[in-house]
Amino acid sequence: MSSKCIVYGYMFLNVKMSSLLKRALFNNSQSIRKTAALFCNATRNHWNYQYQPGPYPKTPEERAAAAKKYGMTVEEYTPYPEDMGYGDYPKLPDIGEDSKDPHYPYDNPELKRNFNEPLHATAEIFGGDRCDISIRRRFSLLHQWTWFLGTLGGFALLMVFLEDYKIGRPVTAKQIPGQGVHYLFSPN
Amino acid sequence: MGQIMGGYHARSVDLNSDDNPTFDPQAGFQYERKQREMIAKEEDLISARIPNKYRDYCAHYLLDYQVCRYKEMPLLYRCAHEKHNYLNCEQQDYVLRMKEFERERRLRVRENRISATA
Repeated sequence: MSSKCIVYGYMFLNVKMSSLLKRALFNNSQSIRKTAALFCNATRNHWNYQYQPGPYPKTPEERAAAAKKYGMTVEEYTPYPEDMGYGDYPKLPDIGEDSKDPHYPYDNPELKRNFNEPLHATAEIFGGDRCDISIRRRFSLLHQWTWFLGTLGGFALLMVFLEDYKIGRPVTAKQIPGQGVHYLFSPN
Repeated sequence: MGQIMGGYHARSVDLNSDDNPTFDPQAGFQYERKQREMIAKEEDLISARIPNKYRDYCAHYLLDYQVCRYKEMPLLYRCAHEKHNYLNCEQQDYVLRMKEFERERRLRVRENRISATA
């Protein structure tokens, strides 16, 4: 009797759960993606249709309109190559936030950005606490590579050229009783 | 430093650490060399579970030392005599290996000298 109750309860739960789950997950076409995104990224979890850039500008009029939209002059506006899929978003110079002048009175000093200034396409990694590829290196790349390869190469050359000049203990192999006959150096 | 200075004389006859002797063991000796004998019995070694690399010609001293340790635990200072015996035996074994190395080196030098003059 009790086992039957358990079985019926299990079946009821299954049926009810499955219809509820189905409605929750599959009613809205974006909800699975949003659910996954919730677990992957709790803060950047929204999209506004105005965020999407326009199509790649082909005629000069389209370029002027795109430049005006992003608040740039026509001379300084260059889009990314068309096959990269950025549309008409401008290709801004790769300057990280850390390299920008700290004493200039920005409208938004936390981001070192003025009002309506276009954000770099990959601004999320150019932030002040993140990468900055335009920073002046303390040691140039050539210096770094020279020391790195020089050290490794130096050790490799040492090993190659001193292979025949190794030092060892002045002993023969260990004499193990079962393997071979061994003698003392005296008659008794 | 002596090892660095002396290494050349061994390397020049192509002799390196842990090589095996190549000459006849009896060559050059007026008397007959005594054979090394294994005093500890195989079944004792197996029963005491001595690891393979310690089953050499000094294993009987090792067995005595382990027996002493077992009996005197935790007052292990009382096994100093057995430990000294074992370590002495190991040292003599190492010295014998060094002698073999030097003998091998000198025989090779002699062979080179003979073949150079011949």
